[in-house]
Amino acid sequence: MRSRLTTGLLIGALATASVARGDSPRKPTLESIGNQVMCTCGCNAPLTKCPHIDCSTKAEMEAYIQKGIAEGKGETAILQDLTLRYGVQVLTAPPARGFNLAVWILPGIGLLLGLTAVVVIVRRWRRRPTVVLPTTSGSADPNVLAAVEEEMKSTGLGVRD
Amino acid sequence: MNQVGSVGLIAALAFAAFALVAGAVGGKLRSLLAARSAERATLAFFAMITLAVVALEYMILTDDFHNAYVAQHSNRDLLTYYKVAALWAGQEGSLLFWAWLLSIYSALAVWQNRRKNRQLMPYVVSVLMGTGTFFSLLVFFVANPFQELSLVTSTGTQPFTAPDGNGLNPLLQYHPMVIHPPMLYLGYVGMVVPFAFAMAALITRQLGDNWIRTTRRWTMVPWMLLGCGILLGGNWAYAVLGWGGYWGWDPVENASVLPWLSGTAFLHSVMIQEKRGMLKVWNVVLVILTFFLSIFGTFLTRSGIVSSVHAFAQSNIGPFFAVFLAIILFFSLTLLFLRLDHLKSENKLDSIVSRESGFLFNNWILLALVFAVFWGTLFPVISKAVQNVTVTVGAPFFNKVAIPMGLLLLLLTGAGPLLAWRKTSFQSLKRNFTLPLIVALVAGGVLLAAGVRDFYAWMTLFLSVFVGVCILGEFWKGARTRMKTAHENFALAIYNLTMRNTRRYGGYVVHLGIVLLFIGFAGQAFKVETKGLMQQGDLLRVKNYLLRCDGLTTGDNPNYEYTRALLTVTKDGRAFASMHPEKRFYKASQQPTSYVAIHPTLAEDLYVVLAGMDPDTGKAIIQVFVNPLVMWVWIGGVVVLLGTLLALVPSRVEREMAELRSAHELTAQASDAF
Repeated sequence: MRSRLTTGLLIGALATASVARGDSPRKPTLESIGNQVMCTCGCNAPLTKCPHIDCSTKAEMEAYIQKGIAEGKGETAILQDLTLRYGVQVLTAPPARGFNLAVWILPGIGLLLGLTAVVVIVRRWRRRPTVVLPTTSGSADPNVLAAVEEEMKSTGLGVRD
Repeated sequence: MNQVGSVGLIAALAFAAFALVAGAVGGKLRSLLAARSAERATLAFFAMITLAVVALEYMILTDDFHNAYVAQHSNRDLLTYYKVAALWAGQEGSLLFWAWLLSIYSALAVWQNRRKNRQLMPYVVSVLMGTGTFFSLLVFFVANPFQELSLVTSTGTQPFTAPDGNGLNPLLQYHPMVIHPPMLYLGYVGMVVPFAFAMAALITRQLGDNWIRTTRRWTMVPWMLLGCGILLGGNWAYAVLGWGGYWGWDPVENASVLPWLSGTAFLHSVMIQEKRGMLKVWNVVLVILTFFLSIFGTFLTRSGIVSSVHAFAQSNIGPFFAVFLAIILFFSLTLLFLRLDHLKSENKLDSIVSRESGFLFNNWILLALVFAVFWGTLFPVISKAVQNVTVTVGAPFFNKVAIPMGLLLLLLTGAGPLLAWRKTSFQSLKRNFTLPLIVALVAGGVLLAAGVRDFYAWMTLFLSVFVGVCILGEFWKGARTRMKTAHENFALAIYNLTMRNTRRYGGYVVHLGIVLLFIGFAGQAFKVETKGLMQQGDLLRVKNYLLRCDGLTTGDNPNYEYTRALLTVTKDGRAFASMHPEKRFYKASQQPTSYVAIHPTLAEDLYVVLAGMDPDTGKAIIQVFVNPLVMWVWIGGVVVLLGTLLALVPSRVEREMAELRSAHELTAQASDAF
């Protein structure tokens, strides 16, 4: 059971990491790169979403990206250039390597651990005997029961809710 | 007025601290006097905080610029309703506003329970006023809005009255912003009431269904208001920030969605406890988590520990919130641990294919989403601490993680309510899901034929059709039964069906609203954008729209100067709209901002931004977005709101049962008397 769980966790984590890495060799555009880097003017928004009017930093970064595109560089190369120029925090998401891998992997692990917990709870619940709670005599009022029956008949909705 | 406000604050602090202690003493010693005193002190806390709020609003509305807060966040030419909103535009005012909303919730809780839950109430008051004490301390000693403006000269510090104020942040000068923060705050603050009842139930060991039934509406209301606040925030980002979207996974946006998600999980799992007496520990955990995340959201907005576009009110109050969060966790988890024996489930699970399992899976996905968003939001702080490297975790991460989980949730939105309690037979599954599946498959085929190739967009629309048919089918089946048995027409049958069980059908309406929201989200995959330089006579084409610039005008009013582009738009060669995007320059704050022109339709929005002026050519930089299906996001939000309101209305069955119950109790009391 434990080895199956470990294998499951590893597969889930690797799958998440591979999705995270997903670097396609598509032709770069200003928008495709602008969505992956932050504007460094201090607005804390991606380059394409900088809310500042006439932002000179944005204009400078866009010109730098356009230059890279004009030189025929690929998306990865342009992003590397930007990282060298502005630091890794310029990327809207950290690269999936080293310690930063944790940001990509842990949600997948969390999801799998949660699923494991749900499975364990369901198994326990199914094995557990029903607890019979003490009831006071006459708690099942015939009037109430009749009202419930009437309601179920009138709606015809059976046992659901 | 500064003195009046300060007196209000110190008195509020004293009343809150008294109620905290008196409530605990009243509960422990079963002293009616102490319990009643605590409740009256809570009402007095409300009165005193209200006095402070009125004092600050009075100074803002009368341009009293010898108050530092007023001078910093308002100005003479600001429109009146923006002046009212200046109360929550800065750190000090918004914390006072937080405390005021808390006092309103607390007073309402005390009033509503004046004749019931008598054993719980002393502790409920104590927890509410514990929170009240914290916020009063903060507002009085750390972020006091009643400071006088002073001028430092060579002879010392002297009182000073500014001729005019700095004005409200231009980004906040947008109509929905007047109600967006109050809605968010009402959502955040309201979560304190279910938390207080949960803690009181733990302390008194009254862990049956009573606290759950009492707090259901107290949870639904803030959950609904928080949802409204989030949606209004999205609307603000869409209409003001000018990047063509409504959600950017900014840390502060994430902080608002976290308690909403955990609150959603609670509102679902609570039904298992009501129906089957299961998940008792889990429900307490969810209440604690939701309150913790509400305070965490406020902490994140204020502390500046993460970078955000919402850095309107950052300061050094982070450590105070960190201590308060630690106290909440320690107190509540210790109490939970001590009461584990009283929280045993009463039933067992009969089948994996059942409503109970559906709720468990719903909780699993919601909590995994909470964890993923929480983790991604805090990772930059962790990275800085561990590897001394600042990283950014933005939209690409959250989209990759949240979209698949969101789709699973969407599936459960339709499938869950169709599962029966205890056990669902294969025949029932077949009966309930065959038609929705067929319709969804046909719709999926049509979408593929229409050229929809984006996997997530296709899957979202496919699932939306499936879930929509599932939910509408429930209304149809119920109405058909009533049409046959009660001989009602369709409209009357739907009305009676809904009003007899508002909770169930209100829930279905909420789920329909969620489907519409997802349809709106799917539209993002088909967004088209272009940019061009324009002056009089220039044309710009985007999709089947053609924009013609009829000129640029400039203007001035007391609040701002503006440059306006006059654009005439045709669609497929026919006249479509006149659009006037603006670039504004606010005089008081000396800040430029954009005023986006939006022409919304059910199919798509035409969204035009005057992004600036090209320095080389002197032409206007016009950015145009065609944003499909955005209107459905707002419509979906309204439907969620209406569904929640419907679920809050007591159903006929509920009222009849309550009447029967009270008649039965009266009979029992009468027979006991004999």
